[in-house]
Amino acid sequence: MSVALETKGLTKDYRSPVKEPGLWGGVKALFDRKYKDTRAVDGVTFKIDEGELVGFLGANGAGKTTTLKMLSGLLTPTSGEAVALGHVPWKREAEFQKKISLVMGQRTQLWWELPAYETFRLNQAIYGIPEVDFRRNLDELVDLLELGEHLSVPVKKLSLGQRMRAEMAAALLHQPRLLLLDEPTIGLDVIMQKKVREFVKAYNKKYNATIMLTSHNMTDVTELCRRVIVIERGVLLYDGPLDRLVERYADHKLIRARFQTPVDAADLKNLGSVISMEENVVVLEVPRDRIAASAGALLASYPVLDLDVEEVDIDDIVRRLFSHA
Amino acid sequence: MKKYLTAYAISLQETLQRRSTLIMDRVGGFAVILSLYSFWTALLGDKPGFMGYTRAEMLTYVLVINVLRSLVFTGRGWQLVGEISSGKISSYLIRPLGYSAYALSLDLAQKSVHVASAVLEVALLSALTRGALFLPRDPAAWLLFAASAALASLLFFYMEFTVSCLAFWTSESGGPLFCFELFLTFAAGAFFPLDVLPDGLRRLLSATPFPYMAYLPARVFLEKVTAAEGLRLLAVEAAWLAAVVAVSRLVWRAGVNSYAAEGG
Repeated sequence: MSVALETKGLTKDYRSPVKEPGLWGGVKALFDRKYKDTRAVDGVTFKIDEGELVGFLGANGAGKTTTLKMLSGLLTPTSGEAVALGHVPWKREAEFQKKISLVMGQRTQLWWELPAYETFRLNQAIYGIPEVDFRRNLDELVDLLELGEHLSVPVKKLSLGQRMRAEMAAALLHQPRLLLLDEPTIGLDVIMQKKVREFVKAYNKKYNATIMLTSHNMTDVTELCRRVIVIERGVLLYDGPLDRLVERYADHKLIRARFQTPVDAADLKNLGSVISMEENVVVLEVPRDRIAASAGALLASYPVLDLDVEEVDIDDIVRRLFSHA
Repeated sequence: MKKYLTAYAISLQETLQRRSTLIMDRVGGFAVILSLYSFWTALLGDKPGFMGYTRAEMLTYVLVINVLRSLVFTGRGWQLVGEISSGKISSYLIRPLGYSAYALSLDLAQKSVHVASAVLEVALLSALTRGALFLPRDPAAWLLFAASAALASLLFFYMEFTVSCLAFWTSESGGPLFCFELFLTFAAGAFFPLDVLPDGLRRLLSATPFPYMAYLPARVFLEKVTAAEGLRLLAVEAAWLAAVVAVSRLVWRAGVNSYAAEGG
């Protein structure tokens, strides 16, 4: 299998002016501007094979979008290397640009006043897509994304979900082999999120396209990605299977116990932290190394009917990873 | 090339689609020429002419300016400033597309609609005032006028494009663009012929590219310059255009590099 994307020590500093507070600070800044360098991405190294679908996770400001922008060629790194589909992205060669697409949830390339179809036609011309391919790709995309009758309506009259799917179609008409998705389901309702997810999965399978996606929606990640890359404050924190992320970062397990008679939650505090208490069922979060002790104490001192030990939910782990930042 | 033709076509569609904006634009523009027309009519009173312009020439000047406003003074500056500060410019930078050629295609579509409309307005106004317009008899004057107006249109486009690129460095680049447009309208002679200005100022302005955008094409139309002089002006205008295009390329490239360095 060939490598689609490879980075070595990718680093990006942003330089931003520092202004002292108040009017005097503003006047001073006119003459003597001070700058502060912020490291957004710090020595990130990874390798993605062709056809992989990788989740790219991190808290807000962790450097995800900056990385995607470097990989798509919008930003030049401060140092480090990247090769995407055999090209250095920030050289912005037309040959490279014809093979990739970057979709940012909140940005639009569609012409507002006109039906989406017109933007598709423009993209056909921009990417030089032959008519036969254009027809075939468009039919497929319209089908997969359930766009149908929405194509002939001015974009401004579409709902957010419809527009987002039209946006996807516009970004995929040239059949990019590398797809960078930044928050593809942001602002969509649950049904639309599901449709977009199904589409991403189908596109990845069908064309063996390499896809890297960021999302704050954990369902996107758990349903689509076997592998995840996590960054925090610009530094790569984890790169590997999603399952193993759980093992590595879940230092807690859950004990779910059902009692014969109600139990006072306050009494259970020294066994672990009480996550929930409903009727006679309690869920305790307990550090891994104290599972046996806590379970034993529960069984010994309380009228336990039933007891389960469970792994922490993956959403939780990732949420916890984010909250570190 | 096909991408730019398609961009032209889609922009033409959009301009026509936004009917109310188009109509408001035209009504606004028409109000300006109507007031200029009334101003000069009142100023001229019973006099046969003013500062070397006959009555017919002066009124024609106002109407020619109306056509030139539509052909020349419609750039993509505000859109570019908006796209840079909102980050939308990114969606162009990652596509295999030359942005300035793309923007020019969109602008040409806009110009097509506006010029057609301006010609209609002039026809209407001259019918209302029962003629009295100056029309060149020499076909060479028409040709020279068309050529200098076409160059003027490109000159304005690239100049405005360059100024708008300042948005890559400052978040307040709407300011420079606004000042630029205001100054340019005056310095190009779009309010009144530059002959009205004191000698020194006029000479100063003639050393800049501004008069080539309205004043000089209008003078060519009024047959105030000989064919030889007209050709010389055209050559100077072409040289200005080449210089401005070169500068716009440099500024654009520097801007994109800075955008790529600072983040979008």
